[in-house]
Amino acid sequence: MEESIEEQEINSWRIKLIWGWALTIPIVFLMYFGKLTGIELMPEIAMQIAILIFAFPVIFVVGYETLKGGFKGLVGFYFNMDSLISLGTVIAYFTGFLSIANLSSDYSGISAMIMAIFVAGKFIESKARGRASQEIRKLLELGAKKARIVKKGKEIEIDISELQINDVFVVRPGEKIATDGIVVKGQSAVDESMVTGESMPVDKNVKDNVIGATINQDGILYIKATKIGKDTFLAHIIDLVEEAQGTKVPIQKLADKITGVFVPVILGLSLLTFINWYAFAGDFGKALGTSISVLVIACPCALGLATPIALMVGSGMGAKRGILIRKGEAIQTMKEVKTIVFDKTGTITKGMPEVTDVFALGKENYLLEVAGSMERNSDHPIAKAVVAHANLKHYKDVKNFKTIRGKGLEGMIGKNKVVIGNEGLMKEKKIDLKKVSDAIKKYQSSGKSILIVASGRELLGVIAVADAVKQDSISAISELKQDGYKTIMITGDNEITAKAIAKEVGIDEVIAEVMPEDKAENVKRLKENGMVAFVGDGINDAPALKESNVGIAMGTGTDVAIEAGDIVLVKGSLEGVVQAIRLSKATFSKIKQNLFWAFAYNVVAIPLAVAGILHPVVAEIAMAASSISVVGNANLLRNKRI
Amino acid sequence: MTKIKLIIKGMHCASCATNVERSLSKVPGVKSVNVSLLTHKAVIESENAKEDDLKKAVSRTGYSVVNVEK
Repeated sequence: MEESIEEQEINSWRIKLIWGWALTIPIVFLMYFGKLTGIELMPEIAMQIAILIFAFPVIFVVGYETLKGGFKGLVGFYFNMDSLISLGTVIAYFTGFLSIANLSSDYSGISAMIMAIFVAGKFIESKARGRASQEIRKLLELGAKKARIVKKGKEIEIDISELQINDVFVVRPGEKIATDGIVVKGQSAVDESMVTGESMPVDKNVKDNVIGATINQDGILYIKATKIGKDTFLAHIIDLVEEAQGTKVPIQKLADKITGVFVPVILGLSLLTFINWYAFAGDFGKALGTSISVLVIACPCALGLATPIALMVGSGMGAKRGILIRKGEAIQTMKEVKTIVFDKTGTITKGMPEVTDVFALGKENYLLEVAGSMERNSDHPIAKAVVAHANLKHYKDVKNFKTIRGKGLEGMIGKNKVVIGNEGLMKEKKIDLKKVSDAIKKYQSSGKSILIVASGRELLGVIAVADAVKQDSISAISELKQDGYKTIMITGDNEITAKAIAKEVGIDEVIAEVMPEDKAENVKRLKENGMVAFVGDGINDAPALKESNVGIAMGTGTDVAIEAGDIVLVKGSLEGVVQAIRLSKATFSKIKQNLFWAFAYNVVAIPLAVAGILHPVVAEIAMAASSISVVGNANLLRNKRI
Repeated sequence: MTKIKLIIKGMHCASCATNVERSLSKVPGVKSVNVSLLTHKAVIESENAKEDDLKKAVSRTGYSVVNVEK
């Protein structure tokens, strides 16, 4: 297995750390042994030369890459952190020669210590950063390595990279499913928790989709591969999270602006410090030491890392729970959100309506025959429910079929014009509803949607359809309300039906009888009173998701509507909304903490260095500590229960 | 508009990432750049920007492109 860039970096810092300190420890010994014990090991001049010899490889070999980057940056006006360290250590090193000529105090030993502390700090920081990206790496490692394909009745074990689309592979209990596919034989329960966060195993039968890397539990499954390599569900999730980790959170803007100009400002400040100390104190050595302190204490790293590292930890935690944060901006906006708007169908409810009642004025069979034949021409979930319920052997011929969006259907069966739809449509067609009005009221007040069927201006009856509420919708909504959010449900259903469902799940407010294309318009209106999050499925609700301040798209099993939301929930449960909000808030407060500490550190430390209070070594230790603490603090986010 | 991802080696501080971002955004055709220190990736959206130009822009700042993903 190839080393990741992180591992390469950690290893390279580790080698630098070992060599850096192996050479620096003798220097420290030489510098302080005499001072502390009063025993002179060797003459002053010999010691100075020895230190210069030991320090040389620390600065120019261990520090080679840092110096290369730093000076390249100085020349090309792409100043960076390395430029500061490079200047600081190289100047300090050459004071060793000046001091032999009695021109300055000797900072050559200090230069080695600064470099050694710098690489040690970078090593610790890179390790901590590796830990921050652990969750994503864990996802990557989830994938199966081998697959057993079935060819001509024989099972052959092959490497996962050799697996082709349409290959049929077999998965035994306890094994990982090699890649995304469709079950062709067998049945089993599959644990999908690693990608969806859903802890209950999911039953899989023939024709069901399965996700690669999930674990087969109790039966043998024969699966036909439908997606491989970079196209799999897991690969998409990883891509998505990685991309999101690179996006910016608005609060970071100021920090970014500062890091952009930080290094040149510090260079200038360091020069001024030198001139000032030399001019007023007249001590060349002290002036040099102080300006070196300024160079090495300044830390754009802590500032620049504060936000992305917390975002990385937060989004990694989310990915593990089936919450994909697509835009860093969302976690900041989430804090301001006061109102959460839910789509009804497929979000609060299962999105799988079933016919519950049929109220026929004439023969029920005739009503179902007409309704089934008409609805067969539509893709709408309700239409499918009617077709399934009617269960017809022969369909009537329908001509001039037309969908009236948000209202119903019309078409010709024989000589009769058939209209199926809601009350609004019947009113438009001037069909009298007196005979069915009691039935309509009864169905609607128990949360059912109604279809009125009329043929040739004659009323045939009413079909009631109900879409059951998802199991955890009620608890999730009550948690959100406890957290102080206003909850609103938006639906195309009529007011009475909508209210009945809202009451069942505990939603505060209902916006009913909304045409699909007007959902976004409603969200826009609600935004006038504060930030709005919209929760809906990613396919039909894309415009409303975009219009809202934070769009939370609900995934449905194996298909994630990736483009639509700012946050995507892999598992279609409202509990995920509660978790996503908590995660966003926790991540954002971590970002604020980090930024505060990074700013505070620079605001306090730089003036101290300018004032000559901080010794360069102390300055460097403080610098290293500041970026390590920012990364460490971000890692603490993982202890938070979401 | 095409999207290209560069994997960049050697960036280890925030000002490095800012520099790379600045340098890449000057390449003709580049519409948006997002460089992440943590994922070592530069995500670039561009109209016909040349891969070579992008690589040069990165190396100008002192780092190297180890891989290109399209």
